[in-house]
Amino acid sequence: MTAVPPLELTHFQAILLFAVVISAAFGFLGRRRPKDRVKYILWSLFLFLLVGIGIGWAMFPFSR
Amino acid sequence: MEDPAQTPAIDGTQPSPSTHATPSPGESRAVAFGIAAWLLPGLGHALQKMWGRALVVFFAVGLLVFAGASMKGNVFTRQGSDAFDTLGYIADMGTGSFYLFARAIETKGADVSHAGGDYGTRLLATAGVLNLLAALHAYEAARGHKA
Repeated sequence: MTAVPPLELTHFQAILLFAVVISAAFGFLGRRRPKDRVKYILWSLFLFLLVGIGIGWAMFPFSR
Repeated sequence: MEDPAQTPAIDGTQPSPSTHATPSPGESRAVAFGIAAWLLPGLGHALQKMWGRALVVFFAVGLLVFAGASMKGNVFTRQGSDAFDTLGYIADMGTGSFYLFARAIETKGADVSHAGGDYGTRLLATAGVLNLLAALHAYEAARGHKA
């Protein structure tokens, strides 16, 4: 198999990828109605990013 | 000799039926769907005609595996040196057949000396755990539980 070029993402891009994919999967698995799914996906995406960025800021003083 | 399972309890209530009954066809079918869902992400839902969920699980697990391996994340093998390697292997094996896909992509080995490789390792483990969750969901749906 031909080698796949390495994927280089920033910290934010990596957490955004994680948050989008997991939110979509949770939304589809956990909710049945389309409107509920959209609400759940958007809410969990917001919380993933909020908590991720919040933890990042909390660790900043200890980063160096 | 009297069957203890048929003996009334001390408080006078009747015992529940024997728990050694053979699994019903519905239960066997549900287990088969769960195993299918583990082997190929989304297959357990596709077999139950839950097309939206099947597509989302397939692409979510596939994207996480592809991104994780492309970022040079660690695809754990059976020859782990400690408990964390074993846990990582179990998580990676949760992706079913996509584990082989990850091994095929990552021909040059992992590089966790950079943050990207570390993120890749987490994405691979997440893909496995997500697929196990989806397989459990497919199993519960096949048993008729509200999903």
